[in-house]
Amino acid sequence: MKKIPPIIETHALTRDFKKTRAVDSLTLSIQPGELFGLVGPDGAGKTTTLRLLAGLLDISSGSAQVAGYDLARQPEAIKRQIGYMAQQFSLYGELSVSENLSFFAELYDVPVGKLQERTERLLTFASLTEFKDRRAAQLSGGMQKKLALACTLIHHPDILLLDEPTTGVDPVSRREFWDILTDLNLDGTTIVVSTPYMDEADRCSRVGLMYEGRMVVCDTPQQIRAHVEGELLELRPQDWQAAHALVETLPGVLQVQTYGDLLHVLVDSADERLPEIEAALEEHDLPCLDIRRATPRMEEAFISLIKRLESKGG
Amino acid sequence: MSLRHLRAIIRKEINHILRDRATFILVMLAPLAMLFIFAYSLTVDIKHVSIAALDYDRSSTSRAFVQRVTEGDDLDLYAYVDTLDEIENLLTRDKIKAALVISPDFERDLLTLRGMGLQIIIDGTEPQSGGFAVEQVGGRAEAFVSELLAAQIEQAGQGQTLSLQPIDLHVRALYNPALKPRVDMVPGLISMMLGFPALSVALTLAHEREHGTLEQVMVTPVGRAELLLGKMIPYVIVGLINVIVMPVVARVVFRIPFNGSFPLFFLLSAVFLFAILGMGMIIGVFMRTQPTALALSFLLIFFPGFFMTGIFFPIAAMPEMMRMEAMVLPGTHYAVITRGVFLSGVGLDVLWPYGVMLVGLGIAFMAVAALFFKKKLG
Repeated sequence: MKKIPPIIETHALTRDFKKTRAVDSLTLSIQPGELFGLVGPDGAGKTTTLRLLAGLLDISSGSAQVAGYDLARQPEAIKRQIGYMAQQFSLYGELSVSENLSFFAELYDVPVGKLQERTERLLTFASLTEFKDRRAAQLSGGMQKKLALACTLIHHPDILLLDEPTTGVDPVSRREFWDILTDLNLDGTTIVVSTPYMDEADRCSRVGLMYEGRMVVCDTPQQIRAHVEGELLELRPQDWQAAHALVETLPGVLQVQTYGDLLHVLVDSADERLPEIEAALEEHDLPCLDIRRATPRMEEAFISLIKRLESKGG
Repeated sequence: MSLRHLRAIIRKEINHILRDRATFILVMLAPLAMLFIFAYSLTVDIKHVSIAALDYDRSSTSRAFVQRVTEGDDLDLYAYVDTLDEIENLLTRDKIKAALVISPDFERDLLTLRGMGLQIIIDGTEPQSGGFAVEQVGGRAEAFVSELLAAQIEQAGQGQTLSLQPIDLHVRALYNPALKPRVDMVPGLISMMLGFPALSVALTLAHEREHGTLEQVMVTPVGRAELLLGKMIPYVIVGLINVIVMPVVARVVFRIPFNGSFPLFFLLSAVFLFAILGMGMIIGVFMRTQPTALALSFLLIFFPGFFMTGIFFPIAAMPEMMRMEAMVLPGTHYAVITRGVFLSGVGLDVLWPYGVMLVGLGIAFMAVAALFFKKKLG
């Protein structure tokens, strides 16, 4: 069987800023058709990685190939193959929706004959047809994101690089946006997307977790969830602050996280610790409305991985 | 160079100018407003300067003298005072700009041809009005004395005439016969007004950087030259609209003659815009935010434009270092061009070296901007 060459490949890719190493020896290989998620705390190097791949920043050391071109030597050739969407809204607010689209169509040399058809198709696809004459600045946050995505798709790129495309967008628009991404991915577009939302990371085919410029884990969401040590209990105490303080000190408890009025407690063995925790809460007169086992999600996996790294680092 | 890319950038930028109110005001209305403010305030005719008189002589001659000095619109007698302290008081309270102090022997000295016991005190914090008062008093004193002497001689009779001829120097100022400062100022000011499109071009580049639109354009295949030229050309067009409007305003409102050829003026103005926008471009390329771009534009375009291009202070009076710097400023050459075209009506045969300098500066500035403008962040 012939091996398909990766569409994005980096070797020890490094980028230094004045005082920090934003991306540290990143070695990564992404196959055509992947939907690759970049996660990690703020400042982990996600944005820098995407900007490097888009040719917006010079490489300090290492190398990378994107769509078969060398990133350092042929950045302009790469630009025709990729669509890049920055984290902040970066279209022209005084231009209308369709003016923004045709502006980028011309910069990407979309053939004049195809311009009309592509613009209309993208407007339909982003459900912006009825707003096509509205100025971009007057669109809602979700619509702005969809317009920005439409603008990066105007030249039919093979690769999409999206930097936190759904940050600051309402949940309904967020879901819509991801449905669009999934459709694009199914049509064969390779997508690299950074996100702070773990439910979005769950929809990726592979997820890379970045921490202080390094990629510490890179695997499928299922595998990453399996990285979580121990088992998860979900508690709904009446006084979560007091319960949190108490449960933390019990033996066999690895970690406690708060979700609204819920406590997620990671323990070494659920069978053994569940009755112990129940007893301790009763003893301290802290009634608990509900206590049960739960499956670890990306969120727990992510936080437990980061906590482990933090304790290792300092 | 793709004309399609260039056209797309130009169209986008023109839409920005027309739709963004702040930009529109900055490039279309601010230059005119500034021309009006400067032209009016710099060239106000001084009239009705208040003065006080301290007359120690109290003779009929001294009274006649004060009356002579303060007749007409130029100097107004605010009050007779009795002490120097009163003069100081009036000066500090800004009631008067100058004061006459007449010595006790004023009449006697004059009639015996010993001189004139007169002191003028002026407010040094406002030398313009003070200097004007000195000039007026001096001129009138001269007339007063010669009339007084003529009357004396006539009284003495015997048909004698005064053989002394006062020096009669006639200065004839060419091109600006009344030596009105406004006439030579306004054409010079036009070069400053065209600094606004340059300021805008610096601001618009910084604006795109701040708002991330530049980042989005950088990931497209657009060329650096296409991007810079495309952003510049709309501001050249806007500047040329100002080039048409300003001579009309100068002519109609300030009655500045326009003696030269308008097509020549238009052509050389286009060249000047190219050079000054090159400066704006450099600022926009190096500055990351609008406030810094604004500050640097004032430092590099407006302040030197006013003070080092010969609009207010003659270049010949500058130290050599400054004269060399002045040569690098497009405004210096354009000031010569505007004055030449407006006032002396000279043609390309005289002005070509200045045009050539502007072309050279423009190319140099654009080259620097293009060299340092990278399609990269950070």
